[in-house]
Amino acid sequence: MPQPIATPVLAPGTRYRWDKVRNQHQLVFPEGMIVLNEPGQAIVQLCDGRTTDELIAVLKEKYPGAEPAGDVHEFLGHLAKRGLVREGAQRD
Amino acid sequence: MTDTPLPRPLALLAEVTYRCPLQCPYCSNPLELNQYRDELDTETWVRVFNQAAELGVVQLHLSGGEPLVRRDILDLVRAASGAGLYSNMSTGATVVDGNRLEQLREAGLDHFQVSLLDTLPESNDRLAGAPSFDRKREAVLGAKRLGFPVTLNVVLHRQNLDRIAEVIALAQAWKVDRLELAHTQYTGWAFKNRAALMPTRGQLDRAHAEVERVRAEGTGGVDIQHVLPDYYFERFPKACLQGWGMVSMSVAPDGFVLPCQTAREIPGLEFPNVREHSLEDIWERAPIFQRFRGTGWMPEPCRSCDRREIDFGGCRCQAFLMTGDVTATDPICELSPHHHLVAAALEEAAQNDPPLLYRVMPRAGGAV
Ligand code: SF4
Ligand code: SF4
Repeated sequence: MPQPIATPVLAPGTRYRWDKVRNQHQLVFPEGMIVLNEPGQAIVQLCDGRTTDELIAVLKEKYPGAEPAGDVHEFLGHLAKRGLVREGAQRD
Repeated sequence: MTDTPLPRPLALLAEVTYRCPLQCPYCSNPLELNQYRDELDTETWVRVFNQAAELGVVQLHLSGGEPLVRRDILDLVRAASGAGLYSNMSTGATVVDGNRLEQLREAGLDHFQVSLLDTLPESNDRLAGAPSFDRKREAVLGAKRLGFPVTLNVVLHRQNLDRIAEVIALAQAWKVDRLELAHTQYTGWAFKNRAALMPTRGQLDRAHAEVERVRAEGTGGVDIQHVLPDYYFERFPKACLQGWGMVSMSVAPDGFVLPCQTAREIPGLEFPNVREHSLEDIWERAPIFQRFRGTGWMPEPCRSCDRREIDFGGCRCQAFLMTGDVTATDPICELSPHHHLVAAALEEAAQNDPPLLYRVMPRAGGAV
């Protein structure tokens, strides 16, 4: 098992984008793009230097009653495997 | 009327100039380079980028020729990011220094792609027709320092394929993010040079094994893209752009809009121009974008083939170059009545080792 990401940030060249023509959340990167669903875009937009735990806490607040931890780890792991998210600088 | 909605393009290839200090013998630019000197001005490109964004384009590829020879290249990059497009630049990287890289970064360029011809500096420089290896290296390292995602693109052919292990090692040493191992596509100058560029089956098998070995042992952080050439390995053609007019459009330096960047070589086709029409108009109404959209145009054997929505009958340019008929089934397909031409081309390449013909751009006012 790879280590779960502690502080997820988008890899250089990977960008979140709202496509107003198609009404879609997108994650765009060199030579490609993936369409994000609602939870996916919420996670991606929080990959801004905060820790994964903080990110999960924000989601819990936003969607009361949800237990997003498992999904968040799985999704971030998937993005990391594709090189779209990586471990950010350690904060102290 | 059909009720399937018209697809919207995801990608726009902007060939902002055909001028280039290099002379790559596989260049996909048209052979008659002198006809295309009347380049669009800044204002028109900016308008095109805005129209592209409104039409639904996500990825913009700034290419050429050498896009960095345009004096307004920073304005073009700024306009692209201002329009919300994801901007890629494909460059030979011989006319860029640290300063210019920083300016490109500030202007909002998202992705930097550098072409390399060979890992041996002498061979790179000979193939490019100009000393360029050291500059390319400096540009790659400089772009990485600035935090660009960098793709190294190496076009493979008979003369460099045996050094594929060195190519991968170099990509790792330069710490690029992606390595595109692109086998020569035989259009443009490459079609003229086909017999000199076509690798042997043995070369390809060794190269393939090498890539698989590296993948198994770990690529060292480099994402390696390797698509085997269709002449040898495919029973069916590649889905060229998912067919014309489906996902992509291409604007030439002089403003003509093509369903594919090499379509211009096909005589008898008429192309619309952004000087006269909006991109949306062209995408939706220009005959050249409608004619090959979908499957209605197809002849047999494609028409009744159940792969017709998988590969869309293959590459129109390749079909034309090999058979003289733009509506023919791509001869790469084993069902094509012209499939024997593939074997003939391989045979020709195996028998001969003709000299390479380098891309030349006659001076303005020179021979017409
Ligand atoms: S392929 Fe070579 S000659 Fe052609 S535009 Fe690119 S760098 Fe220039
Ligand atoms: S016959 Fe046409 S559609 Fe069928 S596999 Fe060949 S090229 Fe593709």
